Amino acid sequence: MRRFREDTPLLLAVYLVKNTPARRPNGAPAWSRVLIDLAQFFNTVFNGLSLSSIILLTSLGLAITFGQMRVINMAHGEFVMIGAYVTYLTQKLFLAVFPESLFSVYYIVAVPAAFAATFLLGSLLELTVISRLYGREIDSLLATCGISLIFQQAARHIFGAQGVNVTSPKFLSGGITVGGCTFSYNRLFIILFVALILFAMWFLLYRSNFGRQMRAVTQNRPMAKCVGINSRKVDNFTFGIGSGLAGLAGCSVALLGSIDASVGQSYIVNSFMAVVLGGVGKLLGTVLGSSVIGFSGIAAETFVSSSIAKAIVLLIIILFLQKKPQGLFTIRSRALDE
Amino acid sequence: MLQIRGLDTYYGESRVIAGLDLTVKKGSVTALIGRNGVGKSTTLKSVMGLCKTPSGHILLEGQDLIKMPTYNRVKSGIGYVPQGRDIFPRMTVQENLELGLRAKGGNPRGAKSGKIPEYIYELFPILPQFAKRKGGDLSGGQQQQLAIARALAADPKILILDEPTEGIQPSIIQDIGRAIRKINTEKSITVFLVEQYLEFVLNISDSLYIMEKGEIVKSGATEEMNAAEIQKILTE
Repeated sequence: MRRFREDTPLLLAVYLVKNTPARRPNGAPAWSRVLIDLAQFFNTVFNGLSLSSIILLTSLGLAITFGQMRVINMAHGEFVMIGAYVTYLTQKLFLAVFPESLFSVYYIVAVPAAFAATFLLGSLLELTVISRLYGREIDSLLATCGISLIFQQAARHIFGAQGVNVTSPKFLSGGITVGGCTFSYNRLFIILFVALILFAMWFLLYRSNFGRQMRAVTQNRPMAKCVGINSRKVDNFTFGIGSGLAGLAGCSVALLGSIDASVGQSYIVNSFMAVVLGGVGKLLGTVLGSSVIGFSGIAAETFVSSSIAKAIVLLIIILFLQKKPQGLFTIRSRALDE
Repeated sequence: MLQIRGLDTYYGESRVIAGLDLTVKKGSVTALIGRNGVGKSTTLKSVMGLCKTPSGHILLEGQDLIKMPTYNRVKSGIGYVPQGRDIFPRMTVQENLELGLRAKGGNPRGAKSGKIPEYIYELFPILPQFAKRKGGDLSGGQQQQLAIARALAADPKILILDEPTEGIQPSIIQDIGRAIRKINTEKSITVFLVEQYLEFVLNISDSLYIMEKGEIVKSGATEEMNAAEIQKILTE
């Protein structure tokens, strides 16, 4: 793979200047427009990458819970919201208890705290509600929809209807400027963070015994039981992990804007689309699906309003799924069950 | 070894097996035969805890399994090879076998380093060659061998097979028959199998049960059974 050079935007600019008329109709030098366009292009790519990363984080949780338990968890977005609020609460705790010099540490504490809180809540939800609705997809969809409303209302009751804000820790404030483009540390962190989590998930799924058990339950539940796997335990842990991933997404979302009761909703629709587009139950498909949704959304927003951009993306996906209902990835196998 | 006493099995509201009594002697190869839909596979599924069994007892060496979840029945020493050779199609052959190893509660690290008993590879020499291949990419016969090998990796006391010859070419059927005999005689693993292929059953089994409409209609030592009479029951 060719390496990205720091001065690539500049070199491209030089190329375009050489091949562009010297003056624009209003008399300004043409190269100024080219440079602005290039900077905008790279910023769009960068924003697309960070949005894709967050969508990926939320889609991963959805993909593994739907892939394994066939549960469409409509409350998944609320776990994003809970993760974001845990980050906010951790910040408040640090402001109240610890000296100012330690303030930035709050985010390092918030990440595992958000994961633990959402993991436990997800696990509890699976144990008390979801586990009673396995095999009843519509019922579980309705139940999680209701739970989503309960969580949102509870958040409004506790934190108020107004959004709250999280201050970025010092090590994530500012950004890096390369060839006229500014990349914020916040978004760079999110991209790296998601890459790390993606690796951890890959390791869990394909290199650990628990991951093997998860895959066995996903592929053939009765047979998984017949090789000694406690599928109930696996389901519960899987749902916990899925929720925990949403909580981590919430941690990232908190860095980008205001947190309110509906913050998860703005990401969850894209995440559902990413899971369906990628092909349900396939990790690589989810990664690609998230990238397509994230990039096409940001690219469309460059030309039209965000609402129209969402409609365009949705239309493209509908057309794609008409042609390929199984998503980007289909499994070819001689197995009898496929 | 395995005793089934007064077993009732239901699919929804309909009773498929009624008051079944059956004994599989330790060290034997016992076969359950019958026409399609008489409840043979359901009997095996009941033993594994995959069906609703509101009454009756399933005793493995005196321990009643009836209330036990499926995964604990496996840990108690039952190896199960279901009909249609249910392997995990998107896992490699090695991963399928390691899941079998894990079933007996062995050290997963040990499993990862490949402590599949050597005799399993000797029985099915094709498996080590395809260790990295996805289970779903194997042929039907190879998948059946993998399914049996996976059940054996759990070191069972009794191996339960549901129609091991279904949809398999004759040469592989012979291999599977030899493997079952070897498992039984050399490893002292009791075998309980359901089959429709009468010739295979007569060659391989020590005792035989014939099932009709969820009940046993005839049983005895295989060598004392009259093949023509069995054939008549099966085709009537």
